[in-house]
Amino acid sequence: MKSGIGRRHFLRQTGAALAAGPLIARAQTPPSERVRVAHIGTGNMGGAHIQAFAALPEVETVALCDVDSVRLAESAKRLVQRKPTAKPETYTDYRRILERKDIDVVTCATPDHWHALVAIHAFEAGKDVYGEKPLSYSLREGQRMEQTLRRTGAVFQLGTQIHAEDNYHRVAEIIRSGALGRIGTVRLWKNGGTRGLGFPPNQKPPDTLDWNLWLGPAPYADYTPVRCHGSFRSFFDYSGGVFADFWCHIADVLFMSLQPEGLSTVEARGEVPGDGIADTPKWIDADFAFKGLNVHWTTRPPPVPGAEKMSIGAHFEGEKGTLTCDYKSRKIRIGKEVLDDLPDVPVTLPRSPGHHRNFLDAVKSRGLPESNLPYARKMTLPMHLALASFRLKRKIVWDSVKEEAIGDPAANYLLGRTNRAPFV
Amino acid sequence: MSALRFVCFCLCLAVSAACGAADGGFTSLLNGKDLSGWTMLPGKQPAFAVVDGLLETRVPGGSDLFTVARYGNYVLRFEYLLSKVGNSGVLIRCDPKNPWGTGVEVQLLAPWTPHRDDLHCTGSLYGYVAVTNRPDETTGVWHRMEIRCDRNVIEVSVDGRRTTVADTRAVKALDAKLLSGVIGFQSNHSKQGEFAQFRKIEIRDLDADQDYVLAGFSQTDERFRVQAREAAVALGPAMIVPLARVMEGDAVMARSVARQALFDIVAAASAPQAEAAARDAAARALREALGAKPSESTAGYVSWLSGMLRK
Repeated sequence: MKSGIGRRHFLRQTGAALAAGPLIARAQTPPSERVRVAHIGTGNMGGAHIQAFAALPEVETVALCDVDSVRLAESAKRLVQRKPTAKPETYTDYRRILERKDIDVVTCATPDHWHALVAIHAFEAGKDVYGEKPLSYSLREGQRMEQTLRRTGAVFQLGTQIHAEDNYHRVAEIIRSGALGRIGTVRLWKNGGTRGLGFPPNQKPPDTLDWNLWLGPAPYADYTPVRCHGSFRSFFDYSGGVFADFWCHIADVLFMSLQPEGLSTVEARGEVPGDGIADTPKWIDADFAFKGLNVHWTTRPPPVPGAEKMSIGAHFEGEKGTLTCDYKSRKIRIGKEVLDDLPDVPVTLPRSPGHHRNFLDAVKSRGLPESNLPYARKMTLPMHLALASFRLKRKIVWDSVKEEAIGDPAANYLLGRTNRAPFV
Repeated sequence: MSALRFVCFCLCLAVSAACGAADGGFTSLLNGKDLSGWTMLPGKQPAFAVVDGLLETRVPGGSDLFTVARYGNYVLRFEYLLSKVGNSGVLIRCDPKNPWGTGVEVQLLAPWTPHRDDLHCTGSLYGYVAVTNRPDETTGVWHRMEIRCDRNVIEVSVDGRRTTVADTRAVKALDAKLLSGVIGFQSNHSKQGEFAQFRKIEIRDLDADQDYVLAGFSQTDERFRVQAREAAVALGPAMIVPLARVMEGDAVMARSVARQALFDIVAAASAPQAEAAARDAAARALREALGAKPSESTAGYVSWLSGMLRK
């Protein structure tokens, strides 16, 4: 840990130089400015991290980790194909990576139930973390992540890469400009939900998979393939379904634009699938009451113009007009006019150099990256409450200062989880 | 949905308490004095009354009569008497706002129109499934009818002889109907002066029978598994120990339904407005389930659930 901080201090000094002349600095990266990166979890998103970081000039990919040795070997092979000079060490247990003093940054693309623990342990080991969404499996874990981050001074970026693109920045500028008047209601949606996955029998895990380590802090469960790669989000033991997969991506534009505060109630409705062992929402609709702002989530597009054809989206309802957007597009409706932009609204928000680049810059400057942990936690918190409300089938009354459900111990209970030993 | 079912369950309890339990698990739906537990739709002339302990309908075109409680799987039995050209019927698994659209009518009809064929006579599922044994249609005398709604199978018997057996899944229009709903009696569907009378209306709610509900967990049709899960949840803490036992079995499907039902029961018991007795009963049942020394995964789940009930 000590040496990690020492390395960070060094990076901070070089970071200043980098900010002054990034192009020159990147053209010839001296060894002292290199950032040594390890990737934990090498599935789809992990594979994307490996490629994205390998493309950054000062990154040296030194280690890969996966509980599935087949995935691990494949990802190492792909990395070397892309970057023949790379010589990554491979690990099954991420704790071996955190023990290495020469690693500055870890990325985390494990299943959701591991996100917080990997980050917390990495912070404590003096590493900075680029972590996949959702931020954490439970609300309480998110709090613990933030406390550990503050104590250790680590840098964390949530992997909401859409945040870095132009569209959300422009939406935020238009909304914040007041051109649409005060925004009283925002509708968010993502089509589709969890499918049941049938009723497969349990079986012995493959020899190439460390199932116990895959489960980690989650409750013990016998192995069946659908619980693991690709469909783990269908299970509340590990995630919260399609809703938990996409909340962060689309709620991001709401939080960028309006910074909603004072959440007071959350009420969700929905159904679990009946056609299999999966137990996360087949559909979920949820209402969130923030101070002066109502937010509604639906599993189908809301009945507003243009939404029907969008599989995911956000719809801002202002006194003077509306704005409907997804990751890459936006439509502004004022009276009978439908516009792609309001040219009178000035460009005020600095654009991102890219989500991974922005993170590395923060690692060097020790500044806050764009999807920093306090921001990401605020944005993720309503998701946890909606899932608890869905499961309990009742409204949750929320104290947004104490971050506690009022008068409902069971709701508070579902916002945390005692980790399975020894994964604490 | 489950909250609604719980309310329905309480209503059933209240109705059974009011009417008194009858033999063989049957409960009377009629107290012989008034129409407690029944409702007629507002806006139409009330067409039913209790006269000398009998339920009768005389007003033509008046409001049909519906139970307040909803039922999914049950055995309904009653006696009926039709006037010379009487016409009534029993509506099963329906929504009172659209009884014929959402449910099915078991016909009760005097044999006064020759064209009323087996698809439209007494005992038929009117217009959907014909009788295979045409019952005695003599008017002016009492007959006994029994209607059994057993998931996808609906059976009708008259005077102890089975007249009709229907597999709802074999008839497309029936397959789209509700799987649970209220029970209704059709108001006099004949002319002025005709009537229908009913007595000894009794029900055995199969969804209140633990073993029947648990058997539903292995139904291949998803809708009946969901129905069985909701029935289990409506039965509340009393189902916790049997459900934990199902989780110890080999049947993946049943285990999975039981797991969700357990969660929903404990979640309902944990509600701030839930009665302390229900919460205590749930906590006790979870302890009892753990006392049976189940497997690691069941024990872990049950003890995790019990955390929801801590104050």
